Amino acid sequence: MIVEYESKQTPIHRLDPRAKFIWLVATIAISIIWTNPVYLLGLGVLTVIIGSMGEFPWPKMKGTFVFLLIVTAIITLVQGATYLPKAVWMANPERVVFRLIPSWVPGIGPAWPLRIGGLVYGICMALKVFVVLIAISVFGYVTSPSEVVQIIVRLPFVSYKFGFVISAASKFVPVIQMQLATLRDAERSKGVDFDSGSFTERVKKTTSMLVPLFANALSMADTMALAMESRAFGYSKNFTMIRPYKMQAPDWLMVVLSVGGLAASIFCLAVFKLGAL
Amino acid sequence: MFHLEPTIVSLKNVTFSYKGSKRQALKGVSLDVKQGECVAILGPTGAGKSTLACVINGTVPRFIEGSLTGEVVVDGRIPEEVGTAQMASRVGLVFGDPDTQLFGMTVEEDVAFGPANLGFGYDIIMERVTRAIEDMRLQGLEQRAPHRLSGGQKQATAIAGVYSMLPKIMVLDEPTSMLDPEGKARVFSIIRDLNKSLGMTIILIEQEVDDILELADRVFVMKSGEFVLGGTPDEVFASVDKLKEVGIRVPSVVEFGYLIGADKIPFSVDEAVATVKDGAWGKAVDEASHGITPKDHAREGDTASLSAQHRATPTDETTPVIEAIDVEFSYPMGVKALDGANLTVYPGEFVALVGQNGAGKTTLTRHFNGLLRPSAGDIRLFGKSVLNEPTANLCSVVGYVFQNPDEQLFSDTVEDEMRFGPMNIGMDKDRMEEAVRDILVDIGLDKYKQVWPRYLTKGERQRLALASVVAMDPEVLIVDEPTTGLDWLESLQILEYLEKLRREKGKTVLIVTHDMNIVSLYAKRVVVMANGRVIGEGTPREVFSKPDLMEQAYLRRPQIADLSDTLWGEVLLTPREAADRLKRTSTTNREVVAE
Repeated sequence: MIVEYESKQTPIHRLDPRAKFIWLVATIAISIIWTNPVYLLGLGVLTVIIGSMGEFPWPKMKGTFVFLLIVTAIITLVQGATYLPKAVWMANPERVVFRLIPSWVPGIGPAWPLRIGGLVYGICMALKVFVVLIAISVFGYVTSPSEVVQIIVRLPFVSYKFGFVISAASKFVPVIQMQLATLRDAERSKGVDFDSGSFTERVKKTTSMLVPLFANALSMADTMALAMESRAFGYSKNFTMIRPYKMQAPDWLMVVLSVGGLAASIFCLAVFKLGAL
Repeated sequence: MFHLEPTIVSLKNVTFSYKGSKRQALKGVSLDVKQGECVAILGPTGAGKSTLACVINGTVPRFIEGSLTGEVVVDGRIPEEVGTAQMASRVGLVFGDPDTQLFGMTVEEDVAFGPANLGFGYDIIMERVTRAIEDMRLQGLEQRAPHRLSGGQKQATAIAGVYSMLPKIMVLDEPTSMLDPEGKARVFSIIRDLNKSLGMTIILIEQEVDDILELADRVFVMKSGEFVLGGTPDEVFASVDKLKEVGIRVPSVVEFGYLIGADKIPFSVDEAVATVKDGAWGKAVDEASHGITPKDHAREGDTASLSAQHRATPTDETTPVIEAIDVEFSYPMGVKALDGANLTVYPGEFVALVGQNGAGKTTLTRHFNGLLRPSAGDIRLFGKSVLNEPTANLCSVVGYVFQNPDEQLFSDTVEDEMRFGPMNIGMDKDRMEEAVRDILVDIGLDKYKQVWPRYLTKGERQRLALASVVAMDPEVLIVDEPTTGLDWLESLQILEYLEKLRREKGKTVLIVTHDMNIVSLYAKRVVVMANGRVIGEGTPREVFSKPDLMEQAYLRRPQIADLSDTLWGEVLLTPREAADRLKRTSTTNREVVAE
């Protein structure tokens, strides 16, 4: 997760994890089916409101947003130059806004016209990416990883071992990250300069860390397996640590709004073309 | 009386060899443990202690393969036949590194892991979890992620995770080896409760001899896969010579009792004080000279001799090798690790940086070779600010040895590892080869030149990590926690080598440590840190004479300092010093009486 889960007592944190999961699925689904940027912007605002109700730390997303803005700007430009949608409401999607290579460039200008339809479609794609990213981040921030595992182990055809593997893997990610940072510092302390040399040399410097990293990871996994064995892992076929969650009124409200919203958007899109470009 | 209790663990003539190894990890070990007993097992690294623990819970040979012979019966069952998972509800096994034995996303979930695996219903699981969390004093941390706990809290969680399975026997394999003094105290207090209040049978494998003396009903000492000593603590610790020969650190009050010829060997400071006050001691005996005995380097650190012997007197003319001036540093998540730290280190000093985990010790030292840059303040080497110098340049002046050797060894052979640093800094080839050769001989690894470093023991890997930095010939050596996870002999080898480098080559040594016994033996100056600042410094005697300072930094001074302070109002650092002091006092008293 971009922003790590934080235990808080906000109305969103308190929701049943299943309700939060259904909201996430519904939000992603709606963002996929809608292609109208105005509608997507509305969905984005709603997602931000829900995040804010969960006291989501927006400043921590700054770096990610900047990176995403650059990427989506490129996507928008490419779409504008290459794609022409059959817009439902747009009168003249072929109208050229500007050209990437203006007329004053000798020999090749003017070229690469950016059309309004393509640009709007690009903006729509960018908004989809933003909405999905924000929704996932908010979900990760307001739902503890153990609640996520609880959701996974409730799914049909999913063994508890699978849920455990997900949980164990996510737990070891920060451990491995810390090890990598220490290995890098240890190399720097022995005179390795990661900022100099050719690309091949830099890759070589980095790969020397991989052997100790993998060896340490294997050793850690070995000890962990021994510790798991010592705590009866695999003794029972069923994992019995299933929390008896009970849906309350706010949870049902969230489920109804999410499922209802998704159903309504599918209906309106199919019948009235609402949400379409 | 525990001897009336039934035997709960019975090992008869147990021998074990790991798969693919000809060496016997256990050689005819026999052990009977009574229900409710606390048995401590001591021994150097590689003695077979952990293998023994795994035999008791059945992971050897079912999970860790090999050839096991002899008879093992635990709580009326044969672990090899029953299987580890079945045995888990009878024998709990706790390891040294808490990070590899915490599986849950939260403390509560981790403690529930064992009972959930055993197939209990949710209500029973939560009942056990609540009890375990309460008994292990983890209330309020139920929803905390394990990686956000302190070392002591993590280990308490690991113990709670085993305890929630309600085993009759708890085997703890060096449970405090990774912890700071505060964490150690917490874990020992929990073990005491488990045994004395809850009646659980405890088999405790430890290197921390001071704490087990009052806890253990019986003590066994292992070496090379067999017991070489065993009996009540009185019986075992009466054999001071033998313990030293094996490489066990003899608790300082015990050694003091031995040196003064005490009628009964004292196990605590109070007992030692009573022994002296009651006159229950006789003719002092000479200190045994078996094994490696640390020289009394710390005595050189007395205020009288400090400046003369170990560094140029820090007058205004002496240029310090390291200066940290009002250094501030915050980690990206906003944690302020340094808050105006000041430190000055002079050439040829042996300085120990002490303080509890999170005090800022490692963060501060990582500024000295440019791994970290201060957000405010200045770092100077030999009087020159090095804030803009890259680590690649600084590392030939300040060598940095990290805590875990496995995170700093990169090469395929010991010899190549030694060359790694010198080659990076562009050392002359002839000089490099000479340094590699000489240092490997000095540190006792020359016979392993072509061996993959991972095949060495932990102590050897730690020595190699140090040697590979020494090969770069830096003026200053910073060693972060040089003794973590090592036995006493291995610790002394590292410290002796550092002291030799300081004494013979004039290197400046700065160690970060929690081990006050090491501090009192080797450090010439102690710098105490708390909350990102230096809160006090002085010779070991001076620092140990300030109980307020020690308390503020959550440090515990060595037993011998407590003893001498109680008896004579002065801090002494070694049992020999205390014994000599007693002898002098006694002679003077006799002379006064004679007059």
